[in-house]
Amino acid sequence: MGASGSKGGRARDGEGAITDRNAEKDLDQQLIARFKAGSMEAMEEIVRRYERPLFNFGLKICGQSQDAEDVIQETFLNAFRYLNGFRGETKLKNWLFKIASRTCLRKRRKRKGEPEEEVPLEDFELDAGANSGYEIPSWSDDPSGQLLRAELKRIIDLSIQSLPQKYRLVFNLRDLQGFNTQETAEILEISPEAVKTRLHRARLFLRKKISALYREARAK
Amino acid sequence: MNEECLQYFHRISEYIDRELDDAICRKIDAHLKECPECRECLNSLRKTIELCRQASEEAVPEGFRKRLRAVLKECFGAQPT
Repeated sequence: MGASGSKGGRARDGEGAITDRNAEKDLDQQLIARFKAGSMEAMEEIVRRYERPLFNFGLKICGQSQDAEDVIQETFLNAFRYLNGFRGETKLKNWLFKIASRTCLRKRRKRKGEPEEEVPLEDFELDAGANSGYEIPSWSDDPSGQLLRAELKRIIDLSIQSLPQKYRLVFNLRDLQGFNTQETAEILEISPEAVKTRLHRARLFLRKKISALYREARAK
Repeated sequence: MNEECLQYFHRISEYIDRELDDAICRKIDAHLKECPECRECLNSLRKTIELCRQASEEAVPEGFRKRLRAVLKECFGAQPT
């Protein structure tokens, strides 16, 4: 296995990533300053940098392209409306995702009859080992098989959509958007411990769901 | 799954994310060498995360990109330059 999960390993591996993040923050600060000075080009550059991750986030949280578009539009409208008061205490990207998360949560509250479920850890304890026989395919198993890949994408999207929203938000921010635990906690205004708990359960839930749907699809 | 497996099962996501102290990591490393069930559990979770990452990136629809810019221009286009 040899896969040490220590904090020390992370610090050594992470120096390049930290430099990249600092460079990104510097660029964001320049863009914000230019926007505050009235530059439309700076606004376009901010949109260009963040529209894709925000769209993908909205799509995974809301499940529909139209809802994701509404989320992005509302996020950018609010962001540019209040950007003059943005003091840079957090990164621009994190601030945008905070606005987007709140927008998604507001959209959900408007929908009736969608209960906020819990994902109990006990559901996964009994089938955690090899005997459970989870079958998780690789994305690159058959690069030429576009049909298979389309089916796999459908399975993954359906599985993510099956996650109760509070778990879906954490999984998206942590595993798909790459925010760390502390950043995710700040974006969602929950504790780092709650982030860790929800992420662990979300991953276990997805493993079970993807494996079951993949087996079903193969049996057809 | 025995008591020791269950104890590490609860921390396996933190292990994947390298959020645990060195001492706990060493204990989990040692356990993984001995326990095929926990190795399988770890591997299948890692595969799940990787699969979701690889399959999740979509392009923003071109029609929407244009509409978004038109809306933003209408709202903020009158900014002083």
